[in-house]
Amino acid sequence: MLHAIMLKEWLKIRWVWTAALLVHLAMLVYLLLALRHQFQIEHSEMIWYWAFELRRLLYTQIQFLPALTGALLAVAQFGPEMLGGRLRLSLHLPLRGDLMVWSWVCFGALMGALLALLDAAGLYWIVSLWFPHEAAISAVLTALPWLLGGWVAYFAVTLALLEPARARRLVYVGVGVAFLALLYQQRGYQEYDRIMPGLVGAALLLLPAVILPAHRYRRRS
Amino acid sequence: MPAIEVDQLSHRYGNQIIYQDLSLRVPEGRVVALLGKNGVGKTTLIRLLMGFLHPSGGRCRVLGEDSHALSSKTRARIGLLFEGHLSYDFMTIAQIERFYRPFYRHWRHDIYYDLVDRLELPHSHKIANMSCGQRSQVVLGLIFAQDPELMILDDYSMGLDAGYRRLFLDYLERYLSRGGKTVFLTSHVVQDMESLVDEVIFLLRGGAVLQLPLADFQRDFRCFDFAYSDATPPAADALISTVDTLGSQPRLYTFAERDALEAHLAAHWPGVTLGQQQAMTLEDAFIGLTGKY
Repeated sequence: MLHAIMLKEWLKIRWVWTAALLVHLAMLVYLLLALRHQFQIEHSEMIWYWAFELRRLLYTQIQFLPALTGALLAVAQFGPEMLGGRLRLSLHLPLRGDLMVWSWVCFGALMGALLALLDAAGLYWIVSLWFPHEAAISAVLTALPWLLGGWVAYFAVTLALLEPARARRLVYVGVGVAFLALLYQQRGYQEYDRIMPGLVGAALLLLPAVILPAHRYRRRS
Repeated sequence: MPAIEVDQLSHRYGNQIIYQDLSLRVPEGRVVALLGKNGVGKTTLIRLLMGFLHPSGGRCRVLGEDSHALSSKTRARIGLLFEGHLSYDFMTIAQIERFYRPFYRHWRHDIYYDLVDRLELPHSHKIANMSCGQRSQVVLGLIFAQDPELMILDDYSMGLDAGYRRLFLDYLERYLSRGGKTVFLTSHVVQDMESLVDEVIFLLRGGAVLQLPLADFQRDFRCFDFAYSDATPPAADALISTVDTLGSQPRLYTFAERDALEAHLAAHWPGVTLGQQQAMTLEDAFIGLTGKY
């Protein structure tokens, strides 16, 4: 059954996910070329001064990519389910509704996480080409709130799509936008290090929350 | 135990009352048709039965379980056709079969492909690129492949051509011949019901319901010509179900026998002369009972 569920979810998101993969790879290549260009036109000391004295971020190109990808994956995954009330087809399947909804979002979140992992690994590798290991680790830690933004955007859009009541949909969008705004406040390196465990904990609460709109949908569709 | 049990069901959309104290039974092993004009709440009833709506009052039970809390095991025993032949359009013929197969223990992929291969389409053909009729063949093939104990079919004939409707009825007959199967269906093609159903449930506006064996309905429901020159035509009342004065020949429809009807007309509409009783198809009788508009 799990295999069948994964098949359906993959069929829905495969083109968007593949396109997202290509865009993420393209952005990483762009980041690589941009950094290389910087080192070619400026002295290394100057770049070091910008990065570690002025604390200027050198890889903001990928800042909004995870959030955008998360939102698009949610639309690709749950848009077709909501069109014409197709969600009812799934809710009639002989499987516990909560387990089914969780398996859907776990799949979507996992596919998003693979792209986030690619971003993190790519960022580490690119930064480590010109900077010491500590700077590469710092870059990944700095990018963590952006990567978490992908998770938040995915779940906020999922909640808004599954929710049958318009007013609640707006609440979900509002909570999602506020959470994302919180994740994009940093101006320097690793400013979220101490608060990240708390933010991750809050973002994890979005996972069980998807059961509520699905339950309401079943009763009101 | 009835396969479907509805007790004193009430439902409303805002201020519009759909049913009030609606009660009906679908006995096990029977084919029961739910008939009614557009907007009387046939699809709403099916949504309530499958737990997709919460009723304002009353209770629905399906295969012995409360319809608002159907277990996975019970859902596996129900083949459900949603209105409009709802399906996963983004899948192909083969993918949708592969998707549904693991959920049903008695899955019959031979039945599915037997039905679907008649479309003469490659298995890689996407459902979204099919016509409404082709899509309905795929969806009905999936329901037959489930081999469910109870089939609930909401307007199964929508989009099907005459040939495929006949094929569907043949498949349904074969399915029923295995015994212990119950079918609860709605359709706008009333003439198909004649050879198919054991009982009919007429859902009338305001939630009134009339349930009886099809044979009893066909035997007891009558159509009479009448003439009323210079007199007021009769109107529907406790004895007369409907009156049709729009056609070239005025007719009235009733469950009453000729003698009782004549006495009734003489007492209330003395200027009306009762004519011949007319033979009716099921569709004529359905329109006679529910009215043309």
